[in-house]
Amino acid sequence: MSETTSLPQIPTSLASLRESFAGQSSSTRALLLMAPLIAFELLVFVIPFLILLRISFAEPSSDLIYEPGSWSVEAYAAVVDNILAFELLWSVVSYSFLLGVAVTAVTVVLALFYAYAIWRATGLVKTLLLFSVVLPLLTTLVIRTYAFTPLLSPSGTVNDILLSTGLLSESVQFVPSMAGAVIGQVYIVLPYAVLAIYSVLATMDWHVVEAARDLGASRPRSVAEVVVPQAMPGIIVAAVISFAWSVGAYAAPGLLSENITFALHVEELLLGDLRYPTAAALSVIMLLLMLVSVSIMFAVLNRFGGDFDLA
Amino acid sequence: MSEITLHELEKQYGETTAVEDVSVEIEDGELLCLLGPSGSGKSTTLRMIAGLETPTGGEISIDGDDVTDDPAYERTTSTVFQDWALFPHKTVRENVEFGLKMRGVPADEREQRAESMLERVQMTGYGEDDPTNLSGGQKQRVALARSLAVNPDVLLLDEPLSNLDKRLREDMQIELREIHEDLDETFVHVTHDQDEAFTLADRIGIMDQGELVQIGDPDEVYENPTNQFIESFLGDTNFVDARVTRTTGDAVYVDTELGTELVLPTDAEPAVDEGTALTLSLRPEILSIDQPSADGGTAADDTGEQLATDGSSRTAVTGTVENVIYRGSTVRYSADVDGTSMFAERTDASTGALSAGDRIRLEWNGADVLAFREDGTRVSL
Repeated sequence: MSETTSLPQIPTSLASLRESFAGQSSSTRALLLMAPLIAFELLVFVIPFLILLRISFAEPSSDLIYEPGSWSVEAYAAVVDNILAFELLWSVVSYSFLLGVAVTAVTVVLALFYAYAIWRATGLVKTLLLFSVVLPLLTTLVIRTYAFTPLLSPSGTVNDILLSTGLLSESVQFVPSMAGAVIGQVYIVLPYAVLAIYSVLATMDWHVVEAARDLGASRPRSVAEVVVPQAMPGIIVAAVISFAWSVGAYAAPGLLSENITFALHVEELLLGDLRYPTAAALSVIMLLLMLVSVSIMFAVLNRFGGDFDLA
Repeated sequence: MSEITLHELEKQYGETTAVEDVSVEIEDGELLCLLGPSGSGKSTTLRMIAGLETPTGGEISIDGDDVTDDPAYERTTSTVFQDWALFPHKTVRENVEFGLKMRGVPADEREQRAESMLERVQMTGYGEDDPTNLSGGQKQRVALARSLAVNPDVLLLDEPLSNLDKRLREDMQIELREIHEDLDETFVHVTHDQDEAFTLADRIGIMDQGELVQIGDPDEVYENPTNQFIESFLGDTNFVDARVTRTTGDAVYVDTELGTELVLPTDAEPAVDEGTALTLSLRPEILSIDQPSADGGTAADDTGEQLATDGSSRTAVTGTVENVIYRGSTVRYSADVDGTSMFAERTDASTGALSAGDRIRLEWNGADVLAFREDGTRVSL
């Protein structure tokens, strides 16, 4: 190992720094380039997560939130018992996942259509379509989500329009309800999903779709046979973003439905009940469940043409 | 096995006219090459036959059926694309099977057909390969197999050889020709390469600025171009400016920038007036190269024109060799003739090699010279 035996020389100038940089093997160089990101991740994710993990193993205490320096699996036992007994935490966890699946399914389908439309559009139409994807991101998430209340409430705009056109005979309560939470959450994640899929479509050769049509594939068939498999990497990214964000959703379900998601429940545990170890344990369990779900998702989608290694 | 009729076909993109008034009858089993520079509308015409573009005017019929408004997937045509457009996420065999799958052919039959198609294009054994790992020539073969697998009535080839290197391209031209002879199907091949067109075509249609300017057998379009664009596009030539000085019943006399009066023999009364500006085309293959006689013969012996009794006329000019370019099988001499640059070629084996600075004598038969008016139209001589 010549690399370890020769001590790295202290660069005396920028030129020698660049020289020593160029001399690194490509993996070392990649690591150096990633160093700021790694430092950032350590600071904002890994260290806080380790603190959370530590709290989850602390002994609950009635007057000090948790007993400092204590070790216990009591919080985990309580959470797991509660879930397995189909009590409150079961409904919280299952509702979170249900919301995640519903939002992901709706988002990916919408995003695929929208991204395809951007891809096929030209000139001003393309610019407008792309701009309107990004536009909602310019408003803060809470305002954007709150705006659904006057739109979707029983006396809101959408009900007014549907009633006046005769499509509905009586008003529907979109909010507060799960439908409202799904609509609000889809609206939040859709731009990211569209951009993820569009970025892959933009690199695709339209001639390939023409070749499929030329060989007898109808329009829908050519999309299913050629566009979707090639867009799979983008679709997987879109699905993972939608799913991870929606399972942990906080604003949309909080504002537009009365159901409690796990994020809302953790907040309740932390700020209302002051049960830190339980909140931390629930968070760790949710994180593990998310990891498992996303791995399964990768595995399934990989079968349909994705190209992702299971990390 | 199909004949195609294009009637006054037109395609406009906004204000731009890509194809204008193209009418042609493509015969059953014919290999027609559409030849033209880029932007001449040849690919657009092909794409309209394929159904990948909708014409803004005119009609397309295949075997008498009007297919103008039929989408690509309902037509009996099949296209080989310039970039081959193989499906990158499918194996080579899945690519070849694709058209059959769309037609609902059972899996085992598809596989058999795909294998025989791969064999036909000499790609046996590549069935399980990822098409993105193939070389250009192999991709081209797979694309051809994929198009042929559906047994199309018409095979449309959109410059499929233009991304291959010269040697491979020439091999593929021969192979395409053989496949065409075996299958006896109608092929329409688009190219910007005149050598390719001459190698492949039963007939050549030459396109320029969206219009089909001439269509005919290869030797006919080469020897009898209808305008100056075709003459310049089909091969290198010397264009010489000239002006008509007088006409007689059997010849046109012109003054040229070569400093000599030339005579162009005609069969009938020529349709040009005195004083008309002309451009003459002297192809290198009609020019014969000599060294001027060294014994100081008079200029009149060496240059000028004589009208022979049989209607042909030998004309010669002398100049100075400017440079000599070795092009493998031929040597090209470019010469300065009284201030005008001209070039001629001879095969390497020719004796009496000339070098830069030598005097050179170029001689030709006046009957081989083509003349064009200022608007590019040909003067019939």
